[in-house]
Amino acid sequence: MAKKGEPLLEMNKVAKRFGGAIALKGTDLKIRSGEIHALLGENGAGKSTMLKILAGVHVNDGGTIKLGGKDFITGSPQDSIAQGIAVIYQEPSLFLDLSLAENVFIGRQPKKGKIIDWKFAQTESARLFKELGVDLDPKRQARGLSIADQQVVEIAKALSMNANIILMDEPTAALSASEVERLMTVMKSLKAANKAVIFVSHRLDEVFAISDHITVMRDGATVSESEVGATNLQKVIKEMVGRELTELFPKTDHKIGEVVLEVNDLTNPAYFRNISFKVKKGEIVALAGLVGSGRSEVARAIFGVDKYESGSVKLNGKPLPAGSPIESMARKIALVPEDRRQQGLFMVAGVNRNISMESFAQLTDRGLINFKKEKSLTETWRDKLSIKFVNQTDPVDRLSGGNQQKTVLAKWLATNPDLLIIDEPTRGIDVATKAEVHRLVDQAAGEGKAILMISSELPEVLGMADRIIVMREGRQVAELSRAEATQEKVIAAATTGKRGA
Amino acid sequence: MNFLRRLKPSSREGSLAIILLVAVGGTGLINPRFLTGDGTRDLLTSTSVVALLAIGIAPIVVMRHIDLSIASTVGLTAWLIADMSAKNPEFTWVQCFIVGPIIGMAVGVLNGLLVAGLRLPSLVVTLGTLYIVRGLVYVVSNSVDYNAQEMPPSLLDLGQKVFFGLLPFTFLLVIIAMLAVAFFMKYTKGGRDAYAIGSNPPAADLVGLKVFRRTFLAFVFSGFMAGLAGVFYLMRFAQVDSTAFYGQELAVVAAVVIGGVTIMGGSGTVVGAVIGALLVQTIQGGLAALGVDAFWKSAINGLLLIIAIYADRILAVRNEKQLLVQRIRERV
Repeated sequence: MAKKGEPLLEMNKVAKRFGGAIALKGTDLKIRSGEIHALLGENGAGKSTMLKILAGVHVNDGGTIKLGGKDFITGSPQDSIAQGIAVIYQEPSLFLDLSLAENVFIGRQPKKGKIIDWKFAQTESARLFKELGVDLDPKRQARGLSIADQQVVEIAKALSMNANIILMDEPTAALSASEVERLMTVMKSLKAANKAVIFVSHRLDEVFAISDHITVMRDGATVSESEVGATNLQKVIKEMVGRELTELFPKTDHKIGEVVLEVNDLTNPAYFRNISFKVKKGEIVALAGLVGSGRSEVARAIFGVDKYESGSVKLNGKPLPAGSPIESMARKIALVPEDRRQQGLFMVAGVNRNISMESFAQLTDRGLINFKKEKSLTETWRDKLSIKFVNQTDPVDRLSGGNQQKTVLAKWLATNPDLLIIDEPTRGIDVATKAEVHRLVDQAAGEGKAILMISSELPEVLGMADRIIVMREGRQVAELSRAEATQEKVIAAATTGKRGA
Repeated sequence: MNFLRRLKPSSREGSLAIILLVAVGGTGLINPRFLTGDGTRDLLTSTSVVALLAIGIAPIVVMRHIDLSIASTVGLTAWLIADMSAKNPEFTWVQCFIVGPIIGMAVGVLNGLLVAGLRLPSLVVTLGTLYIVRGLVYVVSNSVDYNAQEMPPSLLDLGQKVFFGLLPFTFLLVIIAMLAVAFFMKYTKGGRDAYAIGSNPPAADLVGLKVFRRTFLAFVFSGFMAGLAGVFYLMRFAQVDSTAFYGQELAVVAAVVIGGVTIMGGSGTVVGAVIGALLVQTIQGGLAALGVDAFWKSAINGLLLIIAIYADRILAVRNEKQLLVQRIRERV
């Protein structure tokens, strides 16, 4: 094994494209033994692609990767494991029905002759858990374990495989404060054992608390690599932002009318507390913050998919009962969910069925569906949103991501809502369609709808919103007007909870 | 003894065993004959075929698959063995025990190639082979039936053999098979991989388990057991026609699920599956003792199945609630 501080992994000018989209365009990364290395960057900067190349999920198209002086073999997860690289994904993929000891040794069970040596597996797992400072019973089932404990199991697995480099993709995103502290202790003990830890995080306070080196990425390239002492929070934020805003549709100004949605002290202790804000007619309000900060949960509570414990929601001045999406829809609220495949669409049903799904009343004659009306409704929205498909009956599964997103949007716009809640409106769609979706949302605001937008893409938030509410760990930490909002301010609030940078 | 203790079923099987004992005891109260050696022997004899099949498909269900072709395979092997015996008077039980599993494995190989090789859904594949194999029985049998006089006497004698006045030879084989498979599932890599594959199929690929090989072999094993069950069928009924064991595949699936093998894969044991088979049979016997009309048999079976699934659901909901409470506590 390399000595402490010696270069272990060197990535030079690594490039990767997916079809027409460039994910990495020349990224450098240098990792030394016995260090904790933070990889920073906004969503879409290319961090995940980097990790996936090292994990063996993707193969780079250009550049060189050297591991311990030798060429790194990319191609399969097994190859990466064999070369001493272990990956801990944001959502650990354990076998929930199996015991923790089994999960640690899955695929490499210790054997005595032909028979699995459970004693050894259990004592060895117990030793590893103890080494990591976490008291877990190796005989218990993985089901029911918190995300934090599941990560510990994954880390124990990495140690048992003798991994030298441990990659962690946003390990703290789903953890509570005390769990984060525990994870940091674990990371330090890995460092003490001369392992290299590469971790992606959006919580900058943590990054500065624990890492030795920081690499900042932007638009698929490395912007800077520095020792933690040689940089600071402001500098890092400045390096992260500055993505080009040209891909966005310019927002137009609308007349802002009376209050449509009023949320007061909304609390569901498992996800968010004391959330209060208003959205007015013609206004676009963005809920910004990191993934896991409770934004989607607030939206779901307003719409009534989830219940909340205390607080109130008013729509057009009248209280909206909790926990009833049907009532919310009758009162003209629409929710475009973040996961269109799972929650937004019926993937095997036709475009026409999906678009007309919530507009049943407009389509019926004496209680029966009039298919001519369904056809014309579909045509209307195809033209308005320029959705591209061949036949109306084509399953939405066959459409591109962008056209799928437009289909969900069409479904809800067809109900002519007063309040449109839209969660991650442009996730996973191409640049041109992004701009179109922005135009459509802007247009909806222009028609006098109130819009609550949740987005993890800063340029989108800054480009579209009249007002920005920033959430962090379930709390509302800042409210910024369009004029005062900057990328630095939003990032600072979302990652450290402090206003202003 | 230590070895047996280590095979000790987890709490799920323990509670099933208690339910079984209560059911046996209850039936015994109504009909004391049920508790005698004869009663026990009858219960075990009548459970043997289903129990053997349950042991065969339990690993498949653990892997989040299913094999519906087993009952047709039982019919095919039973008829073919009877046919061979009728035509070859020198056939003894030994040949039967060799030929039966071979025929069963042939069906298993077909299922395994389709499911593991082509990655087709096992529900549909084995529904297809269910009809194909049964169709084959209709064609080859050409409406010929066989009775005891055309079967090897040594085989029928073996079917009558009972140890200590209560343990039939067939059920002894069931117990041996159960222990062997239980051991395999718990102590070998192949067995543990089966649980992993059923628990999280994408992750199984990601950690490099031999998914094809394990799945294929599980289907071959299920075919092997179905072939053996065909021999058991002859030993028990001493007659066979083309409709032998028709439609009984779901009774086996029901026994396995009642025995705690989750249909979603990843958990359950063969010990549970065998107890499930015994439980179904005992309750049938109990109802008969109570004078409940035999027509109620299948309705009661269905009810039992739903109760078993509901018990799982209650456990799952309780688990989720605990998690949420834990989450809230950590957030405060």
